[in-house]
Amino acid sequence: MPKNSKNGLLFGTALTTALGLALAASAQEVKQDSKMAVRAAGATNVTQQQLDDAAKDQNNFLHTNGNYAQTRFYPNKQINKDNVAKLHPAWIFQTEVKESMETSPIVVNGTMFATTSYSHVYAIDAKTGAELWHYKPKLGAITTYCCGPNNRGVAVADDKVFVATLDAKLVALDAKTGNVVWEQKLADPEDGYSETMAPTVVKGKVLIGTNGGEYGIRGFVRAYNAADGKLLWNFDTIPENSVGVWATKDATGRDMHRDIEAEKAQLAKIGDPYKRLGGGVWQNPAVDLATNRIFFVVGNPSPDLDGSIRPGDNLYTDSLVSLDLDTGKYACHFQYIAHDVWDLDSVSPAVLVDVADKSGNTIPGVIHAGKTGHIYVHDRKDCSLIRFSDAMVAQENMWTLPTKEGARMLPGANGGVEWSPIATNPQAHLAYAINLHQPMTYQVESSPYPGGKLWLGGAFKVIATEESAGNVTAVDYNTGKIKWQVKTPEPMIGGILATDGGLVFTGEGNGLFKAYDANDGKVLWQFQAGAGVNAPPSSYTVDGKQYIVVGAGGNTQIDFKRGNNIIAFTVD
Amino acid sequence: MLRLMTAILLVCLSATARAQSIEEKANVCGACHGEDGIPQDKAFPIIWGQHAGYLYLQLRDFQKGVRKNEIMQPIAEGLTKDDMMALAEYFEKKQWPKLPQAAASGADAATAKRVNGSIGCTGCHLDQYQGDGSIARIAGQNHDYLLKTMLDFRTRDRANNPGMSDLMNAASEDDLKAMAAYLAGF
Repeated sequence: MPKNSKNGLLFGTALTTALGLALAASAQEVKQDSKMAVRAAGATNVTQQQLDDAAKDQNNFLHTNGNYAQTRFYPNKQINKDNVAKLHPAWIFQTEVKESMETSPIVVNGTMFATTSYSHVYAIDAKTGAELWHYKPKLGAITTYCCGPNNRGVAVADDKVFVATLDAKLVALDAKTGNVVWEQKLADPEDGYSETMAPTVVKGKVLIGTNGGEYGIRGFVRAYNAADGKLLWNFDTIPENSVGVWATKDATGRDMHRDIEAEKAQLAKIGDPYKRLGGGVWQNPAVDLATNRIFFVVGNPSPDLDGSIRPGDNLYTDSLVSLDLDTGKYACHFQYIAHDVWDLDSVSPAVLVDVADKSGNTIPGVIHAGKTGHIYVHDRKDCSLIRFSDAMVAQENMWTLPTKEGARMLPGANGGVEWSPIATNPQAHLAYAINLHQPMTYQVESSPYPGGKLWLGGAFKVIATEESAGNVTAVDYNTGKIKWQVKTPEPMIGGILATDGGLVFTGEGNGLFKAYDANDGKVLWQFQAGAGVNAPPSSYTVDGKQYIVVGAGGNTQIDFKRGNNIIAFTVD
Repeated sequence: MLRLMTAILLVCLSATARAQSIEEKANVCGACHGEDGIPQDKAFPIIWGQHAGYLYLQLRDFQKGVRKNEIMQPIAEGLTKDDMMALAEYFEKKQWPKLPQAAASGADAATAKRVNGSIGCTGCHLDQYQGDGSIARIAGQNHDYLLKTMLDFRTRDRANNPGMSDLMNAASEDDLKAMAAYLAGF
C-alpha cells in the first residue's frame, strides 16, 4: 500500500507529548485493528430526529449527501456570494494515506468523521483540524476492486460511526473513541465483492450495497441492525428472473440494436444468467421518510461489454429501484438501459425532490444523473419516467455496439456523470452536476466467468488523440433544460455542494477547488489544493462560524494527482 | 532442463511438506525466485515484497490449473489453502529487491504513459504501479518476466485473468514492449 508516512498534526509541543503517550498506551491494547486514540471526541450522539431534520440543520452535516433526500443543499448563507472571495484555509489535515480520496466528511457537533482509501476513518476536531482518533482496519489479504481502493465516507447514528471496508465488511465504531463495537462480514472478496460506498443509517437499520459489477458478483442492498450488526433483510439487485421485457429502446427512446432472437436462443441454451450478473450499488440510497421507502440505482451487468453470455434485459442493472425500508420488499423500478454493453450505468445517487409532472402539477419526485449525460426525472410513486434533461455532454453514435476492433461512441464509459453525487436547489428546481467528456472506443471479447477476477468482456479505451474535458452544469429538472454550463479542462469526478449562500462548490483533477455563482456559473473563488479535488464537499458550522470542507487526494480511476489532504475553509 | 528442475523441486517439496515452519516451506521457492529475492532467471518474477493477496491467488490458480506452468503447478498441488496464504504472507513481508535495470528511454516512457492513459493500468495497479492486496506490484519487476507475461495475456496462454487479456489486446505489441521497459526501470 503506498502510504505517506507523514501525519501532519497542527499541535503545540505540550499536546504533542500527550499525544505520544496516548499513542503508546493504545498501541499495547489493540491487536487486530490499529487505532490511535488521541483524545475522545466531544458530544457525538446523533438522534433519529436530528437525522430526519438534517436538511434544516445549519450546524451539522449528518449524511453523506446532506440529508435523507440527498439534496446536498446546505442551509446556511454565512459564506455567500458577497464574501466567498475571502474564503481561505482554516486548517489542513494530512491523513496517513496518500491515495485516491472520495470521502464526504460528516460533522456532528464540531467533530468531523472522514475516510481515506483503504477504509481508514479519522475523527477530527472540525474547528482546529486536530486528530481525535484514527481507525485503521486490518484488511484481509484479498481485496478485489475496480477503480481504486476508495472509501466514500461513514454514516452516524446514536453513539456509533459506521464504515464499510474494502474487504467487504461492515464495521460499527464507538463515535467517541473509534473502538470497534461490532463487525460483520458482508461477502467474500475472493468472489469479487468489495465496499467503497458510505452506509446510510435510518431507524436502527444500516443500509449497504456492494461493488463487484466488474467481477461477476450478484449484487445486493441489505439492512443490518445498527445495534448489533445482525442481518435484517437482503434484496438481490439481480432477481432470479432477470430477463425482463426484451426492451429494444433506452429511456430516451433510442434503439439499442439488440439482437433479441439471438438472445432468446442463448437464453434457451444457458438459462437465466442471474447468478453472476453483477448489479453493484455504488452510492447511498435516498430515504423517503413519508412513505418509508428507499430509492437507489443499480450498476452495470457483468461482464461489462459482452452481452452474448447474458441474454435478457439483465434486471435490475442500470435501473432506479425502490424498496420498502422495513422489509426490503420490491416497490418499483425503472430501467434506463436494458442489456447494457457500454457500462453507461447508474451510479450517481438518487435524489428526492418535488418535481413538476407532465401536467405541471407538483408531485414527489426522484431524480438521477446518468452516465449517459441526462438527468432523469421520475414519479416517486411508481418510478415511472416523467422526463429526461438535455444531454450535458456530447453524445455521438449512440448506441453503436462494441466491436472486436473497438467502436467509437460518446459518452465514454465513465459518463456523463460518474458516481459523483449531484447537488440540488429545491426552491429553484435546479440540479447541479459535474460531467466527464472522455472519448472512448468500446471493444468486445468474450470469455467465460473467471472466478472473481476482472471480467470486462472486452476493453474501454480512451482515445488519446481526442480532447478530454469536463463541465459543471445546472439543469432545471422541471423543464429538462440546461440553465448554465461551464467547461473545465479536466473530466470531472468527485461531487458538488450547493449552499443557501447562492454558491456551488466543486473541485477538479488539476487541484483547483472552486466556488461558482449558483445562478449563472460564474467562478467567484478558487484554491489550488496541490492534488486532485475529486471528493464531494461538505459544509458545517462550529461556534457560529461556517466552514466548507473537501478532500484533496486525487483519483485512481482517472489517474489524477494523489494527495492526502482534508482542507477546511472559512471566512474571517 | 525444465524437467530436471521440476524433479529437484518436487523432491525438495516432499521434504518441505513434513517441515514445521513456513520458512522451511518457503526454502524451495528460493531455487528459482532467489535466496535473496533476486530471481535466478530473468524470466522468473520477483516474489519478495509482492502483495500477499496476489501471491495467494496465483498459487490457488496454479493448483486449480487455470494458470499453467510446468514448475509451479506441481508445487502448488501439494499445498493447503492455509499453506498458500502463509507462504503469500511470508513473502509479502520480505523486502522487494532492487534489480539493476536501467530507466526506460524517454520515448518508451512517453509511450508507456500514453498506454496507461488509454487502457488505465493504474486503475488497478495504482499510483506508481505499486499494486495492493490482490493486485500485483509491477514497478521494478523483472523485465523479461513483465514482457512475457503481458504477451502471454495477449495470446491468452496466461489464462487466469481474462480482463487482463482483454486490456493487453487493446494495446499493441510495441506498446507493451515500451511498457515493460518503463515498468522494469521504475
